[in-house]
Amino acid sequence: MTTEPVAGSEFIAHEAPTLRETSEEIEYEMRSAEGAMWTGGRLVIGIGAFFFGSLAFAYFYLRSSNNEDLWRPNHITAPTGIGAAVFAFVVASALLYGYGTTRLRAGNTLDWEVTGWVTVLGGFTALGLQVWEFTQLSFFPGSSGYASCFIAWGVMNTALILGGLYWLETLLARWLRLRRAVLDDGGPARSTMPVARLFRANLEGCWYFWGFIAFVNLVFWVLFYVI
Amino acid sequence: MAIDTRESVSAEHSGHTAPPVRPTRRRPGWLGPHLGRALVGAVGGYAFGHWIGNVIGSGYINVQGSGQNDVAIVLGLSIGVVGWLAGAGMLDYPLAKIAGREPLPPAPSKSWTRYLGPALDHKVIGLQYTVVVLLFFFTGGLLAMAIRTELLNPTSHVFGPGTYISVVSEHGTIMMMMASSIVIGPLGNWLVPLMIGSRRMAFPRVESFSLWIFAAGYLVILAALPLGGFPTGWTGYAPLQTQATGGMDAYLVGFAVIGIGMICAGFNLLATIINYRAPGMTWSRVPIFVWSVLATAALLTLATPTLVAAGLFGVLDRTAQTAFFVNEHGGSSYLWENLFWFFGHPEVYIMALPGFGIVAEIFPVFTRKPLFGYRIAAAGMIGVALLSFFVWQHHIFQSGINPDMRPLFMLTTELISIPTGFIFLNTMGTLWKAKIRYEVPMLFALAMGFNFLIGGISGVFLSDVPVNVTVHGSFFVLAHFHYTIMGGLVFAFFGGLYYWLPKMTGKMMDRRLGKWHFWAMFIFFNLTFLPLFLVGLLGQPRRVFEYAQNLQTLNDVSSVSAFFLGASFLIFVFNFVKSIFLEPKPAPPNPWNSLGLEWQTPTPVPAYNFARIPVVLADPYHYGTSDGQAVADLGPRTLSLAGVVAPAAGALDAQAVTGEEGSADPRPPIA
Repeated sequence: MTTEPVAGSEFIAHEAPTLRETSEEIEYEMRSAEGAMWTGGRLVIGIGAFFFGSLAFAYFYLRSSNNEDLWRPNHITAPTGIGAAVFAFVVASALLYGYGTTRLRAGNTLDWEVTGWVTVLGGFTALGLQVWEFTQLSFFPGSSGYASCFIAWGVMNTALILGGLYWLETLLARWLRLRRAVLDDGGPARSTMPVARLFRANLEGCWYFWGFIAFVNLVFWVLFYVI
Repeated sequence: MAIDTRESVSAEHSGHTAPPVRPTRRRPGWLGPHLGRALVGAVGGYAFGHWIGNVIGSGYINVQGSGQNDVAIVLGLSIGVVGWLAGAGMLDYPLAKIAGREPLPPAPSKSWTRYLGPALDHKVIGLQYTVVVLLFFFTGGLLAMAIRTELLNPTSHVFGPGTYISVVSEHGTIMMMMASSIVIGPLGNWLVPLMIGSRRMAFPRVESFSLWIFAAGYLVILAALPLGGFPTGWTGYAPLQTQATGGMDAYLVGFAVIGIGMICAGFNLLATIINYRAPGMTWSRVPIFVWSVLATAALLTLATPTLVAAGLFGVLDRTAQTAFFVNEHGGSSYLWENLFWFFGHPEVYIMALPGFGIVAEIFPVFTRKPLFGYRIAAAGMIGVALLSFFVWQHHIFQSGINPDMRPLFMLTTELISIPTGFIFLNTMGTLWKAKIRYEVPMLFALAMGFNFLIGGISGVFLSDVPVNVTVHGSFFVLAHFHYTIMGGLVFAFFGGLYYWLPKMTGKMMDRRLGKWHFWAMFIFFNLTFLPLFLVGLLGQPRRVFEYAQNLQTLNDVSSVSAFFLGASFLIFVFNFVKSIFLEPKPAPPNPWNSLGLEWQTPTPVPAYNFARIPVVLADPYHYGTSDGQAVADLGPRTLSLAGVVAPAAGALDAQAVTGEEGSADPRPPIA
């Protein structure tokens, strides 16, 4: 006997004490839920793409307009070292998390747990650096188009990394509570338990999202520090 | 299995034992999440944020002695929204999740008070949305009355010019916010799971969040008036935007907040339609209204992030002193126009498509004919959604665009009229040689066709650069978009309400009062806005409180008609109160004899929608055809027999066939 959360039925439970579902119906809804997780994970990336696409549009629009020759006077640049560190931490975290996910698929949960928490740590470090960078700027926010875009980038990247950290931390916390049961059922990669199936879908979505975070950081690192 | 009312149930699964997951704590009674607590949270949050903003902003040179601290206003409004959401219980589960905990269902209640708190039943949320959008609508309507009162006379004034433009701006913004959700929120949320044969939404917590943040947006944008209003109209153009007083902060924060709600609503609906369709509900059987919601949801999800980003840039300009929209500091006011309209033009179709969906849903029922060209209509909706991303620059033909680019965007704008025309012709084709039943929903649907024809054709005129340049910024443009949005969407919405309210409430609306409402609304709508095409062509500019003496007669016709138009909604309110609360008449299960899946459920619809997940057998539009096939099999049977779910090892058993309880409840936690 398992004691599992009511889960998907919670929103109808209090009003529908007599609904009786067949095992096939439950399986059908389970597949729908996995699909929704998959779709949701990709849609979040789509939303993020348009959000950061707007910043990229602003960057190139102001750059090409160069009003009053104030796109980027004297080729001002945000602190390169801190920027590179933020970029490195984000990319390293994403790669590490990807590695952990691969290890989890191979059945090694400890590796995934360690890499997961290290990723959280790396993400928080990147976040701290991103905020600290604001205090080290050599330009006023409204001094140029570049400066404006950079301030917005800092704010948006902070929100993006925070979102990724929240997703990953909640996955790890959930895993801690379900670890024993899932391991008893063949491990997270093979378990047929519903929580395990959804965990896998969630895990994959989160990994894609961290890939997206790394990609966005790469693009804007090039825009703000390289070219 | 029987679904229990307890916090967790025992369910067999694979013979293994899982530890109990500690759920979040439920607070009883008035301490629990509800509207009152949300209001307290909003007020407390605003006060706290304002105080923090004063502490931060008092060190700024531009704030000291200016009498205005945008940092305090923005922080006040933002933390006020967070307080509102916390009070409504929207943050309980996201916070508990950090500790890996499971959510609790809302406290069991069948009382009307469940409509005042967070809900996870899409039907409760749909009705909550209905109330909120009507609040938006009537607030915006009252402001419209104020505008028309001012325009009764060209020289005697009720308001000063500053107050007038604030009222116009507030009206436009509230109405646009309302129009973006007027169908998707109430009808989309209420109907989509029923129409696709699902028992639930994919992400009901996200759905509930979208409602509560949408309601927060109402309060934020309303706060613009006491904060001094804003002079930019609903489009918020810079450089006025950067020069305006504190009301502009409310505009920017409000639009961003509403934008987040729109993204959440679209996200949930997309995931639901893609994944939760019943067995047999192939894409070629999806109801046309659901197609329209799908296309709209895609636009909401992908176009709105641009609005949120633009709002963020605007807020940064006004608080952190960046210069996105300040030409003198390396920014560009045209950047706002581009970002705004990159969202703003898809927004036009966010408003138009669901209206088409409703009309295309209603026409076959009241003509007893199949929907003409179903596939073309569905393809047209997707085509419109795609093309809508490529037309935004026609809004800036007069400013901020390389003149050489004009023909390209003129072409794309004219191209979009092709799929729009397809959809329109589909509805007209359905009417062809039909014996029409002139019930109230059908009257509204027919009126939508009439109004949208005028709005649409005037739109094709406006897409041409020479005409656009000539009538830009005039009442002609205003009349055009009122014909498409109010004449199209709002008429369709009321048609949809009259059509689906019997299912939503279990009560029939009074037919006679409904017809009174329709005829008053139809006649006075046209008398209000048709003259405005003329005054626009004769040169009256929008957003200006004075005009030439020779235009007074036309303006007065419009104003007086507008008052009657406003009064026509009182008939609806009276009808609603009378029919639902004072003299309720129980609605038959299927009063319009519709084939739609939503009408095959009992009334009131149970929380779980369908006792058995239906197996869909045909599209819901084969009216008047000889084969008379049932739309869906709603009785006990197995999904594997329907070729839908492969039987799990050992799972397909006699219990399933007989409808006895299954062996597990592996459904997911609600994210």
